[in-house]
Amino acid sequence: MTRHTRILMSVIYWAFVVYLFVPLVLMVVMGFKDSKFIGFPIRAWTMEWYTGVFQDGQVLGVFAFSMAIALASTFLSLVIGTWVAAFLGPNNFRGKLIVFAVTCLPAVIPGIISAISLRIFARFLSIEPGMMAIILGHTVHNVPFVALVVMARLATLPKSQIEAAQDLGADSVVAFFRITLPYLKPALIGAGIFCMLLSFDDFVRAFFLGGYEPTLPVLIFAKLRSGMSPEINAISTIVLILTAVLGLWAERSMRRMNKGA
Amino acid sequence: MFIYPTDLRAGGQAASDKMAHADTDRADTPLPPTAREKRSMWGALMNNGLYKGVTDVLFKTPRRQFLLLASFPLFWVFFAHLGPIIEMFYISFLDSYPPAAGYEPQLTLANWSRFFEERIFMIPFFRTLGFAFTLTFVTLLITYPVAYFLAKHVKRKNQLLFLLLLLIPFWVGEIVRTYAIMILLGNNGAVNLLLKSIGLIDRPIPFMYTSFSLGVGIIYLTALYMLLPLYSALEKIPDNYLEAAADLGAGSWTRFRRVTLPLSREGIASGCTLVFLISTGYYATPVLLGGPNTTVFAESIAGFFHVAGDEWPTGAAFSAIMLITTLSLTGVFLKLMGRDGKGLMK
Repeated sequence: MTRHTRILMSVIYWAFVVYLFVPLVLMVVMGFKDSKFIGFPIRAWTMEWYTGVFQDGQVLGVFAFSMAIALASTFLSLVIGTWVAAFLGPNNFRGKLIVFAVTCLPAVIPGIISAISLRIFARFLSIEPGMMAIILGHTVHNVPFVALVVMARLATLPKSQIEAAQDLGADSVVAFFRITLPYLKPALIGAGIFCMLLSFDDFVRAFFLGGYEPTLPVLIFAKLRSGMSPEINAISTIVLILTAVLGLWAERSMRRMNKGA
Repeated sequence: MFIYPTDLRAGGQAASDKMAHADTDRADTPLPPTAREKRSMWGALMNNGLYKGVTDVLFKTPRRQFLLLASFPLFWVFFAHLGPIIEMFYISFLDSYPPAAGYEPQLTLANWSRFFEERIFMIPFFRTLGFAFTLTFVTLLITYPVAYFLAKHVKRKNQLLFLLLLLIPFWVGEIVRTYAIMILLGNNGAVNLLLKSIGLIDRPIPFMYTSFSLGVGIIYLTALYMLLPLYSALEKIPDNYLEAAADLGAGSWTRFRRVTLPLSREGIASGCTLVFLISTGYYATPVLLGGPNTTVFAESIAGFFHVAGDEWPTGAAFSAIMLITTLSLTGVFLKLMGRDGKGLMK
């Protein structure tokens, strides 16, 4: 590789980083603008929009609503995903490939189709649009991710540990809770945070499965449709910081897991 | 069958407080192992008559254990993962849904044929596919050098840091990132301000509500799904392959075309598939960044579900058409790339 292409490549990399960060930085900066009008130049600065968000009962309520959905769907996804992985990972049987494909299906279906089909499915189950329907939708969407991460971790679990536990008298249930589950812990933390992010950030499923009470992305969307305002920037920035912290945490625990394995 | 408290320590966190309890007890009165076993949670559980009775029946044979382990995953996967799709296909053949009182819905093909009869649906459909193809290709062109730089030029110990720098923006949700693009490209946005201040333009360029703003936004959302598979494919190519090619007299272009490109094919296939499927499914981004001339099929489908519900069968049929089209296109693409799609999610 010649010197020129090397320089060109690093320029492209940094240009790409700029492309990724500039819009977000601008959005954060705009949240401090002392004017209702979104746009440049910024002549005066204020913290008002941020203090406003923390005093806005509606926004705080919506935040709690989104959080509750994220926690519930993450818990369900972890339990179901782990069970699916514990079944699919170690066992070989006819039709395994089909079961595996169906397991992955919700992760590859285009978002709008996933949302619409889940809306129809919720109706089929007589679940009214609202919290329960969104939790169901997010759980279905997140189970494939949990199952894949847990299967990858399970593949590295030394069989001798389970055998040792069984020699010491543990049955399958005890061996699972005492040996397998502790071994899966880093995978579950990583996958769990990832599920939280997916649920908390999700728009399309929450939009079609939701009732009158919006989740945070749906609220931001609704506010955006009625016009841009620095208040939206302040809300978005808080969401951004939260997701970045959660993401870094997930990344760290997954990295540790891969190192430890 | 002894489970000593020392064994517990190696095990789960869940038992830890029970364990501490057992430890203090033991300090007071030394107990034989069998008695201690009763004190531990798991030991107590395994000695519990009810538990014993239930597990004896459930775990009697390996076959029974397997069926027990399999039952819920199989139920969940086929009911909750496949169920929505099947129900969607079923409804697409009904003449009315949700069912009205006293009327039995009839089977019909009208919802499907409606797609082929009305141009206002065909246009967004083909526009969506056209967009998705173009954006997938553009994303590939943009991210390939970035992935190559990361995999081959950044020192191994710095790779994580450089990769993390790209990952952070992708944890932010669809709506927030779409909004960020709106601020970037608006008439009073950063790009117009920059162009104006260096004197290139007098009046702002209307970037927003065009296919340009939509394209920038969707690439912004999907680039990572291309970048990561490319990176992992490129990272696996041994450096000495390229050195060998260079020793045999291949120039840098030939090395790229004959060695790097073929060996990164798997990454290209996975990346393109993911980006294509994901970019066809966005709804909020086209609504916020697009205009009347960029209506995508997701918006057409959503339209049927906003109204009171009497058009659900048509919406279901259109979703089914889109699902069949996108999945078969990616299937053909993966076949052409020489893959069976098995490792798609890796």
